[in-house]
Amino acid sequence: MTDKNPLAVAKGHGHALLLLLIVSLIGLPLILPSATLATEILIFGLAALACNLLLGYTGLLSFGQGIFFGAGAYGAALLMIHLHWGMLGALVGAALFGALLALLVGALAIRRKGIYFVMLTLAFSQMAYFLAYTLSGWTGGDNGLLDVPRPNIEIAGHVLVDLADPRHFYAFVALLFLLIFAGALRVIRSPFGSTLMAIRENETRAAAIGYDIRHFKILVFMLSGAITGIAGALYAMLLHFAPLSNIDLMMSENILIMTIVGGTGSLFGSLLGAGAIVMLGDVLSELWPRWLMLLGVILILVVVFMRGGLWGGLADLVKRLQPSRALDAKTKETL
Amino acid sequence: MSDYLLETRNLQLAYGPFHAVNGVDLKVRTGTIHTVIGPNGAGKTSLFHCLTGERQATAGKILFNGQDIIRKPSHGRVALGMARSFQLTSLFQNLSVRENLRLAAQGRDGLGALNFWRSVEHKRSHWDTADRVLERLKLNGRAETLAGELSHGQQRVLEVGMSICASPTLLMLDEPTSGMGIDDIPLMTDLISDLGRDHTVLLIEHNMSIVMSISQRITVMSHGQILVEGTPDQVRNDERVRTVYLGEAA
Repeated sequence: MTDKNPLAVAKGHGHALLLLLIVSLIGLPLILPSATLATEILIFGLAALACNLLLGYTGLLSFGQGIFFGAGAYGAALLMIHLHWGMLGALVGAALFGALLALLVGALAIRRKGIYFVMLTLAFSQMAYFLAYTLSGWTGGDNGLLDVPRPNIEIAGHVLVDLADPRHFYAFVALLFLLIFAGALRVIRSPFGSTLMAIRENETRAAAIGYDIRHFKILVFMLSGAITGIAGALYAMLLHFAPLSNIDLMMSENILIMTIVGGTGSLFGSLLGAGAIVMLGDVLSELWPRWLMLLGVILILVVVFMRGGLWGGLADLVKRLQPSRALDAKTKETL
Repeated sequence: MSDYLLETRNLQLAYGPFHAVNGVDLKVRTGTIHTVIGPNGAGKTSLFHCLTGERQATAGKILFNGQDIIRKPSHGRVALGMARSFQLTSLFQNLSVRENLRLAAQGRDGLGALNFWRSVEHKRSHWDTADRVLERLKLNGRAETLAGELSHGQQRVLEVGMSICASPTLLMLDEPTSGMGIDDIPLMTDLISDLGRDHTVLLIEHNMSIVMSISQRITVMSHGQILVEGTPDQVRNDERVRTVYLGEAA
């Protein structure tokens, strides 16, 4: 019964969850055909995790995640190209840029609830796309921003890690993922995080017991924007290219689909969702150019038959296996 | 400081030309259980909404501890020591009973609740408050149950219980017995008179017979205005009350 309480789950299985994540991060490049594909999964896993903080934990359905993803990609690329910033500087810049835009979008959008909130994020998403399209001197417009560097990690001119090697870059992204995941887990279990869940459950009551809802929503929006910005920056570095599609509404949609397919109740679910969608895209796009139609079918199946997403489905499976094992033990005892 | 914890002066709430609350001067004495009753449409709930901050009163004053709070948003009133319950049960359905209470205790921290780095386990006092209230509500056995899985009567008890977690000086309860079965009602009235020992209670109630035994002071509203105010005995024997209220019920 308490399993449904996300806080209890987070409390009880925090360390187990991190262990599971570390095993997955090590295993991912071993079972996948390329380190690049594994890196892409982690990058979208980050974006989905950030989306999950809004959707799963605060109950905010945002169609604006593509804004922050695109902004992170452009922001980091421009900092590296024009100001020759290093890897860490570019990532911090992308995070700040994402958080700043999330502050702007959030400050306006959270004034409305429910469907109106969704519509406002949608409107901002459209605006951001056309802004990026129009500012082609900076963003490359339709052609995208070319020749995005992937700087090595250096200290005083001495190369510490050579990130040109896709496996090294994967390891770097995996480390970032682990840190952000652990940080997000911590945030969820904090007074701030527990209040987000209260807001998700019942906004009116949360206000009545003393919480200023706007502060919480804007801050979680900024946190989500920062993480999504980092994901966008990493994606541009992975591709050496920041396409206009990064900031497209389709990107917001994809991030949402990954989050929902993975399961909104769990941060690990976001990685599952990103993994499933990226891998399906990789496999199916070679078999059939209209594979996106199948994506629709999968989304429908998950929403109708697996309300907790892939993570919820797995949890159910484990639970269904466990009682039968306990029952076996009992019957053996009586025998 | 005056004897009155809560005072309204010529309070008005207008929806266009219609005045739901029309010049109410309510005085709630510290340490009492004060009940506002009245037939449907008398303006009880509108008055309540003005007091909680859910609706912005259109004119007049609300003094709490002598301070005019009429412009304070609902969440800001908690830190001053006001707490409320809802007429329609309003819980965090998918969180445990204990977590519901802990969140309510945490609410008084104001911006301190924005702490995102410490674990909730770190703040023992909120858990202690939750456990103390659990005991008082006699819900210890259901601490880890999801609020949504409690029986209706227990949900109503939790609904009221959440309002005492922030140790308020004034408890505002909106029809706490609403929707409760006849067998559960004594449970609630006992709880309210128990809470009345530690808090000043402002009770909004539709059903007059429930409140007679537990209230020290009763205000009867009709058509957005105060009709009569007095002790339960005075109110019971008042002709005007019989006409608008008991008369209607009979």
